[in-house]
Order: sequence, then structure tokens, then C-alpha cells
Amino acid sequence: MTTSRTPRIDAWAFPPGASAPTGQPAMSREESQLRFEHHAAGTVAIRYPKSDHHLAHSLISTLRSARTALAALATTDLITLLGSVGERFTRSLDDAAVAEIAANSGLSPAMTREILTGMAASWTTDALDRLVRAEFPDPRVLDGFVAEAGRAVHATAPGVTLHFGAGSVPGVTVTSMLRALLVKSPVLVKPGAGDVALTTRFARELHRSDPRLAAAVAVHYWPGGAPAWRTWERELLTRADHVVVYGGNDTIESVRARAPASTRVIEHPHRIGVAIVDPGAAPGAAAEAARAVSLFDQKGCVSTHLILLLGDRTTARRWCERLADHLARTGATLPAGALSPGEMSALHQLRGRLAMRGAASDSIEILSPEKTDWTVVLAPAEHFEPAGGRTAWVVPVSDRDACLEILVPLSSVLQTAGLAGIRKDDARFAEMLATLGASRIVPLNEIPFPEPEWLHDGNRPLGELVRWCEFHSPGRA
Amino acid sequence: MRAILEELAAIFGGWDGDVREPSKTPTRGRSQGPRASRDGDEDAGTDGVAGEPDLVPATALAHDSAFNHFAMRIHAAQRATNPVLRRFWDASPGGPAAFWHGIPPVPAAAFRDTPIVPGTPELVFRTSGTTGGGGSRGEHHVLSLALYRAAARANYRRHLMRGAGRLRVLSLIPGPRAVPDSSLSTMAGFIAAERDVAGTVWAFDPEGGVDVGAVREAAAAGEPMLLLTTAFALVHLVDAVGREPVRFPQGSRMMETGGFKGRVAEVDRATLYGRAERALGIPASSIVNEYGMTELLSQAYDGVAGTAPPLPARVHRFPPWVRTRALDPATLAPLPPGEPGLLAHFDLANAGSVCHILTEDLGHTTDGGGLRLLGRATGATPRGCSLAAESFLRATMAGRQPPERTR
Repeated sequence: MTTSRTPRIDAWAFPPGASAPTGQPAMSREESQLRFEHHAAGTVAIRYPKSDHHLAHSLISTLRSARTALAALATTDLITLLGSVGERFTRSLDDAAVAEIAANSGLSPAMTREILTGMAASWTTDALDRLVRAEFPDPRVLDGFVAEAGRAVHATAPGVTLHFGAGSVPGVTVTSMLRALLVKSPVLVKPGAGDVALTTRFARELHRSDPRLAAAVAVHYWPGGAPAWRTWERELLTRADHVVVYGGNDTIESVRARAPASTRVIEHPHRIGVAIVDPGAAPGAAAEAARAVSLFDQKGCVSTHLILLLGDRTTARRWCERLADHLARTGATLPAGALSPGEMSALHQLRGRLAMRGAASDSIEILSPEKTDWTVVLAPAEHFEPAGGRTAWVVPVSDRDACLEILVPLSSVLQTAGLAGIRKDDARFAEMLATLGASRIVPLNEIPFPEPEWLHDGNRPLGELVRWCEFHSPGRA
Repeated sequence: MRAILEELAAIFGGWDGDVREPSKTPTRGRSQGPRASRDGDEDAGTDGVAGEPDLVPATALAHDSAFNHFAMRIHAAQRATNPVLRRFWDASPGGPAAFWHGIPPVPAAAFRDTPIVPGTPELVFRTSGTTGGGGSRGEHHVLSLALYRAAARANYRRHLMRGAGRLRVLSLIPGPRAVPDSSLSTMAGFIAAERDVAGTVWAFDPEGGVDVGAVREAAAAGEPMLLLTTAFALVHLVDAVGREPVRFPQGSRMMETGGFKGRVAEVDRATLYGRAERALGIPASSIVNEYGMTELLSQAYDGVAGTAPPLPARVHRFPPWVRTRALDPATLAPLPPGEPGLLAHFDLANAGSVCHILTEDLGHTTDGGGLRLLGRATGATPRGCSLAAESFLRATMAGRQPPERTR
């Protein structure tokens, strides 16, 4: 329920020239001349234009026409341009801005600041340069044909990339937007309801920075999948050249089903992270695990839910106590965001259900405060289910092979595996984890914030956006 | 334990619907003070159970002291006979309970994976499902069908059949033969077996849906009907009736129960009752909502069919052997009347399993001892990009459908 006193965010940022419903430039229109809907997200109301066929047409057309100017930019210049925007934007995030982003996402301000600091490390010129060069050692292939072993190759950008952002993790959508711009694709971004504030702010910073970027960036929130927006979505899905979608299975299946066969759909489904810890060899692992569980309030795809602990139950019990202590400490510096009654109810039901199972079998122990700030569950693997709300499941395991066995059923949803106390040179173990589906194996303390060039869900994030063209000149032998 | 179940069945069976202050100190309740007053129209009661002079009258359970006396007796019996519950309570913070509300509630979700019963059940009720993970159906192992019948009967007679004389029953709830493990179907079977029920038409099939022809035929018979339905089936009926309304005879009434979640477009109750009144000719004052769940053997109603007040004025009421509290969703601390929270019910009729249940329902209590339901406590916050339990189960346990919650 929103009231007139609820803070409000305008959930759109259109390029100059894109037309509002009545044919006037949206950027210069008075608010009263637009037709709006409202939606509550976090503790703010978000306002956005109503679904309109002409607006959809106008947005896509305007973005498509921006492609030529974007393509004319040298990639090295584009990196500098985008990086300077990222750096300037990060510096501009004062307490008021962070408070708004926090209110929108439902995260605490301290956690929001922590996340923004971590995510923004991938938005600098250096980071963007690293990303591009990791995938395109000669970035000129993004600008035109470059000779390569008897032929010339060119990585071309899609005309317009339509992004469906994730729900409430600020920064994911900005990163996705930057990736498309780096390969010179104009973007139309639908942020998740909890990531409107950051995304629109960033888009406005892009608009201010350079007319070529301003023309290539549009942000428009709408309630994805809502019946009133089905026609709008169909229009956009039909007109966009690429679609990048973050979301649950329902969202992804829905987008996949409606996009034309000729449109590439790049999917980032929900994932879970695990940690594998040898406590004897990693005395600081409990603190690192608490951070990996707590960051993003466990809503990130990298977030750790399951911790496989090498050792017996007694060892695991002692380690769980340390983990609980660190979760409490982390909660003091990075407080959990407000949970909905439903989320709190689900956690109480889970705790009680597990307590009953524990009473029936002695196999489950729970450590938690009275409130739902965090929960540690010490249990055999068969009880595991990701619960969110900073819930860490700790499963004692006898050896690494047992770890792999436990992870087999998770292979289709596995993403990050964080290791602590595991020898770095254990290539066989890493190979097995990769075979099981892990796409990122990192030290436990590196779980929360991937490197700019990380292989997101097992793919090269720029590489999956471009289409390669090879040119064989007529005179070649 | 058996003796307690039989005693409770006799007490519940003697209830005539009164929840006013009894005029005498109850035989066993040792009343130590007045209970919270209750609003609403309640009629006169009795001071004892007819033919059972040693029994506490059900009305006495409205006294906190009498209620607590029974609650603690049952608690002691459950501790003695069910080691799982005993360990659950011993492991819960707070120490031994002196009052019923100090006994840690068992979450409704626990019925999904731990049989809660201190012996061999006479039957097992199963939920048709419960959202929120787990992937399995809840099971309520019922030690005494007679106790369930006694708890349900006094209540439905008061709220559905009072002053009706002979009725015919039209049930859009599948009968107990069709769904023997449904507590709701079993209750429909109890109603159908009442002496003053002249006959029952079962007009809903789990496979085929509502038999609209049978509904029209029943309405045309000219005798007042008691229509038993889920909200889901009612929406289908009024949709199917379309422009050719059915006219149920005067004096007909309806019990509607359950939600709409995931089945049909959500319809608010006022709209649904308005549509039902137009489509079926049963006035909203003769339509009452029943709130119940597989995990509880008692039910709450929001009015007496025929004299039910307008919807905004309605509150649900349990019989005097149930206590409901709204709990703070964060801490599970009790909330005062008017403040919404997660509902926890303490139902003496659950003596054969566990009495104190923490539900996933939101609501608040009223000063008059009633209950306002606010719906399911579902997680509405966007989750980000981490996998949720239901998706996890879908991905890792193909074929195990995360079900919905009905009875």
C-alpha cells in the first residue's frame, strides 16, 4: 500500500527524440501530460508511463537510429567514455542517493553502499578495458574488419538489445547495460522493480555525458508479464534484435516462448552458490562464509546457500557456532533489509519444520536469533533447500568425493563454488566441479563480487552479444 | 490419551453454539476469572452437557482458566505419548510452559514431513498442497474421527443449519468417497449424514468440475438447499450459469470456503458474493465463509447463514475450544487486537496430534474475540537472481509439484 507521503521514483529515462504517448518528446514534457501507473517496490512508489503502442515503436526506432553514431566510436574511446561515466556516477552517489536505492531495493543503506562499491569496481575505465581485452585481445574487431590468418573478422553488435533486469539486486542491470553498450548495441532496459532507482540514475548520467550515448539508452520499468503489458512486451520482443533476460524460470520461459526465432535470447536464470570448506586449513573461513551468505541479503546469483564442511559432525557443530557468531557480527555492520511478512513467515515455517525433523531424527540443529535476521542449519544434504534471508546450510562431509556427490542434483542450478582450505593446485577437484555445472570456482572471500571479465553463467558476457562476420577478399589465394 | 479424546468429543458434542459467560463455575475448569468478552449475536447456553453431568460444558472453555486447564492436560498427554513433540518442545527456547500460550507452536509446514501422532491414526487427512517449498503434501494423522466430527458438527449446525428445518444439501465439494483423505470432504460427508438433511447431491467431480446440470436440477426441486462450495467451485458455477441464473428456493444458504490462489483470476469476496446472489438467488446474508485447514480439526465461521451481517462487519469466530493469536512476523511475539500478524491457533480438538499451530495466514484478532483474515503471508518482495526454494525443487526434483494449499 502506498500513500501520498511514500517517496516516489520516476521509473523511466528516454533518449531525446523518443516520443511520449501523444507524440511529444518525453524528456521535455510536463509530468501532468503523461499517463502513469504506480507500483510499490521496497518502501518507495515507482511511477512509469502506461503501455502505449506508439511509445514502444518510438523507443525502438530512436534507439535503432542511434546505432550508426555508436558504431562510429572507436572501442577504446567508448571504453573511456563509459568508464568515465561509471566513475563519475559512483562518486556522485551521496547518502541521499544511496538511501533512495536502498529504499527501492529493500536492502539496508549500509548493505546498499557495500554492494554499490563492489559492483562499481566493474564500471571503471580500467575494468571495462580489462573486460573488452579479455574477450577481444584486439578491440578493433568491434570497430571493423581486422585481418586474421587469411581473412578479416569483425564482431558486430545487435541493433537493439532489450534487457529484462533482475528483481532487487542493484547493479546487475547497470552492468548488463554497460556490456551491451561496449559492443555498441543501443539498449532498452526494463529494470526489476527493486532496481529502478539505480538504473534510471545511471541512465540519466549516460544521457548527460554524451549525445551518442544519450540516444542509445532507454530505461522503462513496467510490471513484467502483467496482462495489461502483454501487447507492449510482444511489440518490444518482436522489434528488438537481442534479448537479455534475468529472472526465474517462469520469466525466462515466457520470454523465450514469445521472442521470434530469429531473436537471440540470452538467459540468466536464478542460480545458487555453494562453499566447500576445510576448516582445519582455513581458520578465517567462517567470517568469509558469513560475508558470502550475507552480501546481497542472499539474493544474488553468486550468493552462498550451502556450505559443505570437510569434517565430522562435532567439527561442523563448532564451526557452525563460529559462523553464527560472524553472521551476527556481519548483521551489525551490514544489517539485513526488511523482509516481507511472507518471507518472515517462510523462515519461521522452515525453522519450525526443521526443528520437528530434528526432533524426529536428531540429525538437524538450528542456530538462529529470535528474529529472522539469519539462520544456520546443520543438517545432512538431503534436507537442503535454498531459503534466503541469510540462511546458511552446513553439511558435514567426509571428503571431497562426498562433496561432489552432494552437488550432483544441484548441477542445473549451480553457479559459484567458493573454496576455503582447498589446495589451489587441486585441478582434478576443480575439473569435477566444472563438470557438475559450476561456472565460477573462486576463493571463498572472492565470492560476492566477480571480476569484470567473469564468465557470467558460463558464458563470455560480451562474446555472447556479438555476431562475427568473416570477410574473405576476392584476391586471396 | 484416548480418554481425553473421548471426553473432548462429549464436551464438543454438547455445545449448542453458546459462547457467553456460563452462569456456574465449571465442574472441572476451576474458573479463575472472566474470559475476554465476545461480540456478536450469541444465544443462551447450558451449564452442562445433557446426560453427561460430570463433564465441563463447552461454554466453560471460554474461560481462560478452564481452557488452560484442558490445554495443559492435553499438553502433558502429548508430551507423554509423543517423543518427537516432547523433543521439539524441549529444544525450543523458553523452558516448560505454565500456560497454553507458552507452548511453542508447531508450524503448519511440519505436517508435510513429520507424522505427528502418538499411535495408530483412524485416518489421515492430506492437504491438496502447500506453497512455500517442501514439495510434499501435509498430512494430519487423526486419532479420533469422532472427535473431528464432534468439533465440526456443533459448529456447522450452529452456523449453517440453525433454524432451517429440513434441508437438502448440494455439495460442490467432492464427497468423502471421492476424496477420502480430504478433511473438507469428510466434513461435507458429516453434514450430508445429518438427520435433518433430506438428501445430498454431489455436483462436483475432481476431474470433471462443476456439474451445472445437477445444480439446476437441484434448485428446481423446490426445497431449501444448503450449498457447500469452495470459492474456486463457486466462481466456476457463477461463470457457467452465465445469463441464465439459477433460482434457489427461499431459505437456501451457502457455506463457501477456501481461496482462489493459482486457480482462477482472483475475485474479492464481496464481488463473488454479489455475483452469487445474482446468479443463484442466495442473498449474501445467507452466505457464510468457513475458515479451516487440514492441520486444524476445528473451523471458524464469519456468520450464521441467514442472518450474516454485511461483509465489512464480519469477523470469523472459532468455537470456545480454540484460541487464536496474531504474532509479530519478525519475533513471533503476541500482538494486541487490531494489529496484523501471523496467525497461531490453539485447538483443543487437535488433542490427538498437536494443538498449537503456527499458520502461514495473516490476520488480526478483534477486541470481541473474533478474527479478521487478511490472506496468505506470501513473499511479495522481488527476490533478485538467487534461486528460490520452489524453483530449486523444480530443478532438482522433477515431478514433485510444489502444490497449493487447500483442504
